[in-house]
Amino acid sequence: MITDNADIAEKKPCDQCGSLIALNTRFCNSCGTRQRDSVEAIVENKWLRIKQSGLFYAITIVLCASCNFIDAFQTLGWLLFFVVALAIISVSFFAFNWAENKRLLQWGDFSFQKLCAYCALAVAGSVFVHYSVGWLNVTMYSRQQENWTFLKGNIIGECLLVFFTAVTPALFEELGFRGYLLQNLLKVADVPQALFITSFLFAIIHMSFVSLFWLIPFALLLGAVRIKEGTLWYGVFMHFCFNFTACMFMLSGL
Amino acid sequence: MENAIPTPAQPAEYCAACATQVLNDDAFCTNCGYPLKGTEKDQRYFIAERSNAMIDMSEYNNKIRKAGNSLYYLSGVFVLIALISFFKNQDDPGVLGIVVPLVILAALFLVLGSYSRKKPLACLVSGLCLYIIVQVLLAVSNPINMASGIIWKIAIIVYMINGIRSAVELEKLKKEHNIG
Repeated sequence: MITDNADIAEKKPCDQCGSLIALNTRFCNSCGTRQRDSVEAIVENKWLRIKQSGLFYAITIVLCASCNFIDAFQTLGWLLFFVVALAIISVSFFAFNWAENKRLLQWGDFSFQKLCAYCALAVAGSVFVHYSVGWLNVTMYSRQQENWTFLKGNIIGECLLVFFTAVTPALFEELGFRGYLLQNLLKVADVPQALFITSFLFAIIHMSFVSLFWLIPFALLLGAVRIKEGTLWYGVFMHFCFNFTACMFMLSGL
Repeated sequence: MENAIPTPAQPAEYCAACATQVLNDDAFCTNCGYPLKGTEKDQRYFIAERSNAMIDMSEYNNKIRKAGNSLYYLSGVFVLIALISFFKNQDDPGVLGIVVPLVILAALFLVLGSYSRKKPLACLVSGLCLYIIVQVLLAVSNPINMASGIIWKIAIIVYMINGIRSAVELEKLKKEHNIG
């Protein structure tokens, strides 16, 4: 009996003609139709998806580069403009593929312990990065925060600083990169490649080549959590904790 | 009960297209879809299609190789710039601030280039984006930078985009024909 079950379990019906064939068969032996892998997505035009992702990334590059490096834009009004523009880009690309992206916003198996564990990991990572960067004596650490030091000094400014460096990046970078971009690339490439591309692109968009050494692992971690859990929210909270810790270090001047 | 266990049919021959062992009662090869019981015309057509696919694949591989080589080339260029700026500004205490990012860039392009054979899509997309970011930063710091060596820049970008496109097409062909 056991052999019988095992035998049935190793067979499946052909996609086309329905005759029973071995599970790992590539082509049906009675009709010759190619069998799809169980994980293989039915994607008609991968190149179109790559171009779409490219457009998203190009817009993000231009916005980030102008925000970080053009002196005329280093005022609160312009910063607000760039934050809003980046948010709109992330949200609109995410919404463009709404049908396949909406399930990422669900938080089906919410687990408080898991959330705490992930957040603790992010805080620990942030502390490690802060001290290792201090040890490396690299002045390029978080250019963004250096640019925004004019917000320091009064309570409203500090609240704005937390909002701009911890809340909005956590939400909209996750939405744009782990949400839209990763989901789009998963349809084009296999999981490791999509994960790597997203993480690398996320790391280099920060435009500080020295901080790549911690941005790439951090982005890989966020991407892996997003793929494992199937929801964006763990990543959003981890990202928030990471940036918030860095922000607190900056405000306290440690 | 023992009668219920199907005895495997004896392997009778090898597929003419991919040399996989096939069973007597298979109408099509289970590895490549070759019509074992088809007419001679069907079989010829299949073989022709398969060899066409192989020719296309070698062309795509060629483009991927070229794109990978442009990553190596970029790595070399950045090493060169790093060396030149190091020896030019040797006395300047801030020289490491210029040289270290250049060396990191060169190392990144080298790593991406060396993995571009194994994981072409990931490496070429990453390499292209990194290159474009570098160019955008150069253009932001001084717009004249954009124009210098514009033909080289366009050539590199075209090679990379062709490489990415080939990587996508190659994957598709590999899956369709189960080659490689």
